[in-house]
Amino acid sequence: MTEMMPKERIQRFFNREPVDVMPCFSGMGMVTVQAIEQMGIRFAEVHTSAEYMAHSAITTAELFGFDAVVIPYDMCTVPEALGRGVSLYHDSEEILYPTVPSKWATLDEVEIPTDYLGKGRMPVVDEALGIAKSKGDGRFAVGGWVLGPFTMAGQLIELDVLLKGTRRQKEKVENFLSQMTDLVIQVARHYQNLGVDYMNIREMGSGTDIISPRVWKMFIQENLQKIFSALKSPKILHICGSTDMIIEMMNECGADALSVDQKNNVAETRKKLGHEVLLLGNFNPYETLVQMDASEVEQVIKTCIDAGVDAVWPGCDIWPDAKKENVETYVQTVRGYGKRPSPAVGRV
Amino acid sequence: MGKEELRDELLKALSDAVVDMDEDKAGEAAQKVLDEGLNAYDAVMNGLAVGMEIVGDLYDKHEYFVPELLLCADALYAGLDILKPHIKPEDLGESAKGQVVIGTVQGDVHDIGKNIIKMMFEVGGFTVHDLGRDVPLEKFVEEQMRTDSEIVALSAMMTTTMMGMKKVVEMIKEKNPNVAIMLGGAPVTKDVSELFGADGYADSAGNAVQEAIKMISRLREMQK
Repeated sequence: MTEMMPKERIQRFFNREPVDVMPCFSGMGMVTVQAIEQMGIRFAEVHTSAEYMAHSAITTAELFGFDAVVIPYDMCTVPEALGRGVSLYHDSEEILYPTVPSKWATLDEVEIPTDYLGKGRMPVVDEALGIAKSKGDGRFAVGGWVLGPFTMAGQLIELDVLLKGTRRQKEKVENFLSQMTDLVIQVARHYQNLGVDYMNIREMGSGTDIISPRVWKMFIQENLQKIFSALKSPKILHICGSTDMIIEMMNECGADALSVDQKNNVAETRKKLGHEVLLLGNFNPYETLVQMDASEVEQVIKTCIDAGVDAVWPGCDIWPDAKKENVETYVQTVRGYGKRPSPAVGRV
Repeated sequence: MGKEELRDELLKALSDAVVDMDEDKAGEAAQKVLDEGLNAYDAVMNGLAVGMEIVGDLYDKHEYFVPELLLCADALYAGLDILKPHIKPEDLGESAKGQVVIGTVQGDVHDIGKNIIKMMFEVGGFTVHDLGRDVPLEKFVEEQMRTDSEIVALSAMMTTTMMGMKKVVEMIKEKNPNVAIMLGGAPVTKDVSELFGADGYADSAGNAVQEAIKMISRLREMQK
């Protein structure tokens, strides 16, 4: 049997066709300082340069043997294009991701421009995807992601206004989330048209540490269903934080795979959802790749696989300052321990 | 109705108003406390704060979530705004001098948890120096030294900004080892808090309520 190319491995994985070994990839940021240092640049510089963004993603995948590169890196490209500005922390010595400096203060102020796809750093991301496709095609799958409507809303409006609004301004919040849903569909389709091999919708602000299952059903589920029915496969729904209470509702949204973080009880989730569902997760990337001793990483990854994930995904972006040995152990363990079939995906 | 009976009734009304997210009722009960000549500090600590403790429990039990927490906080402030100007310095004792510097670290614009903690310190009679969100790390050190605050409370909602807190803890402890440091935010665990050398932590807005209460009482013990 010949070894599969990464892109093929991931394509087959999402089709639930047998693969040679468990793919090692994510639907969230995977760039590491090792790649940044090898390129001789600073982290703050990758956010405004398509070349740097694409090359740091590819270099990371090459260094560690990941099956995919994931673009974009930060959660502010769309809010910035919608006129909310961006803080890039160019002068900071820390590794800081961009943030949104000026959110709308009330729901009444919200105004979505129509031409935002060409504004801010949106063209930078488009170009980076193009470079990643041409330079990495075949050797790596190219993953893309967009925030889910509730999380996107929280990037654009003060979060307390949005959260309190779920109880006190239901109609206005519903209308706003409906606008966000159309926006998410437009951006995700745009990236699919640019050729991403899989699309992850990160509705990360909607776990039950923040909102109740009742509010989730009322404000989140229908919008996600609309998004997943509008997108091509492969498409993933990722929610971090507490998801045990909403996992069945997540599974009704129409995604091809569900991604959860370390707060989810994956063994229980597997029992609830059965063996057909593609489950991705669920290690704590900061704890496992930054804090732990490399010798402890293997067990963390094996625990995820034993609990019943089909691919081991970090629960969030990989923190760029991850230890080299820890990331290497993560990849080696996925390849070694992931030789046997997972619940939803067989082996050739 | 006797004075004691009236006190009990109003304390319950204040607590209930917070739990029921009812700003109007909290304001009415607070005004009645003043009209009846009852002790404003007693009303804050044994009425409003008790309500918020119940809210913290409801959050832990998954009966309340963050939207409810925020609306309960609004109700608490509706009462606190009326009562606070009438709190006598002698009621506060040592904590009247208590000061806290609070803020969300650079790179993080999430401030819900920070605002809940801020509220609990205000309830406890502390003077709060709120640096806001996305605060450069050195600013925490400068503000602590400027105000000589006993507590510095740092919040980071995202793993990606949590590392900044470690630096602030180091910088402050180096200059003044007696400052109590409290870390908060979703990625903060007990291990992280200990590793960073902090004195307390809270990983959710609900736990922040409990942790702030604990930290305030610890400091009061130390001051005795």
